[in-house]
Amino acid sequence: MESQGPKKTTLLIVEDEILPAMSLRDELQDAGYVVMDLTQRHGEAIGAARVLKPDLALVNIKLQGHDAGIELARELKEMGVPVVFISGQVSRARSAATVAIGSFPKPYSATQMPAAVSYLLARLAGETSQKCPVGLEVFDIELEASIASRA
Amino acid sequence: MSAPVVASTEEVALSLALAIVASSPAPLLLLDGELAVVAASASFCDAFEIDAATAQGQLLSELGSGEWGQPKVGSLIAATLAGAAEIEAYEFDLVREGKPSRQLVLSAQRLTYLDLNHTRLLLAATDVTEIRATEALKDEALWRNIVLLQEVRHRVANSLQIIASVLLQNARRTPSDETRSHLKDAHQRVMSIAALERQLAGSGEQDVELKAYFNTLCESIAASMIEDPEHIALLVTGSKGEVSAAVSVSLGLIATELVINAIKHAFVDGRSGAIEVGWNLDGPHWTMSVTDNGMGMPKGSGRRAGLGTSIVDALATQLGAAVEVSSARPGTRVAIIHPSIRLVEIPEPMAGADAVNRPAA
Repeated sequence: MESQGPKKTTLLIVEDEILPAMSLRDELQDAGYVVMDLTQRHGEAIGAARVLKPDLALVNIKLQGHDAGIELARELKEMGVPVVFISGQVSRARSAATVAIGSFPKPYSATQMPAAVSYLLARLAGETSQKCPVGLEVFDIELEASIASRA
Repeated sequence: MSAPVVASTEEVALSLALAIVASSPAPLLLLDGELAVVAASASFCDAFEIDAATAQGQLLSELGSGEWGQPKVGSLIAATLAGAAEIEAYEFDLVREGKPSRQLVLSAQRLTYLDLNHTRLLLAATDVTEIRATEALKDEALWRNIVLLQEVRHRVANSLQIIASVLLQNARRTPSDETRSHLKDAHQRVMSIAALERQLAGSGEQDVELKAYFNTLCESIAASMIEDPEHIALLVTGSKGEVSAAVSVSLGLIATELVINAIKHAFVDGRSGAIEVGWNLDGPHWTMSVTDNGMGMPKGSGRRAGLGTSIVDALATQLGAAVEVSSARPGTRVAIIHPSIRLVEIPEPMAGADAVNRPAA
């Protein structure tokens, strides 16, 4: 199910709401991505990311009742894991544009996420031919910085 | 000078003037050209804790502990005496040692009367401390309400997303194609309302910008319902315009049903095509339409009866609008026509009848 997709790409989902997280996982797995075990805990997310080095992390800003997603994104960025926020807190996400490469605000339909992920991964790989899906906001400065730091 | 038995007219006039000042319910000072107190109202002495017995003859700057000697008061009075400008509602803080400071609104006026040799100045002081505090409280309450409303809308949107995700997982796990299709429709209906709540939460307004809403809506429908975007294109062609939240939720649901219907039925023979969601907010009449260039309705079949159709009819009735189905050659156009959009009132039943006679635009 997970390994015959377009790319053997690994994704990390850190989401406070387990049911939307499951939908997201199912859709992304169907699209061919490897999705790591779902978590809503900071420590678990960091530990798992250290071992599996995901290509992209989808992080909700609100985690366990606090806006801990921004700090998590900062730590993931330091580990070289690019982050896209999946949060209804659009302005909070924007204000944290230095630690994430984009924001896909809630309420997203889980079915929209494969296109958004595909677009961001293509941009990270230096491709600019894909059309940016409606709803996805890209933080270009941080995305370029992310590409540069990997080169 | 012998004491007159009857006071002179002048003395009567003066004592009347002083009595008027003294009895003024609003705090008032009558000053001379040297800014000494000629008369102080009892209300002034009460409000600002001035000894009424000694006030008369004192300089304004010596009243109380000298709190009236502030440069701000002096400049107001200087400007008034110079006749440069009549200054109304001059705010200043009365700061007194050991007492809470008060916010005052001062107004000074040079009196015009028959005696040209004696300058007289009337100074009125209104204490607005409580009023300002109440205003600040009201502003804060209003602001908190707005924040709360936005928070509630965020939560509603999140809750709807949870419901939608359950429906989606349900659809994924069911072996029946028909059931899956119904569950995906249900998922999309919930997402349509969730998208609206999110937009309202973000804007803080009561009205909805239709173009932004329908763009989000159609992107969500396309991602969920169109398997091959090369096969069916979904376009939003209406222009920008605002509609009340109550009306836009109905319009969003109507558009959702019509688009899903077109995706399912207009291109079943494998043909490719496009579905266009448009509207026209110009003028008194309001129209929203969903047009496809698919295979069109079979002759004599009428509209397909189903949940989608009954939802569209019911919501159109609720809006006081008429549903008009016509052939788009090729394809089908369904228009929702309303004579004039009502933002809050309950639509009158007759509103739709007028629209039926309108030709399709």
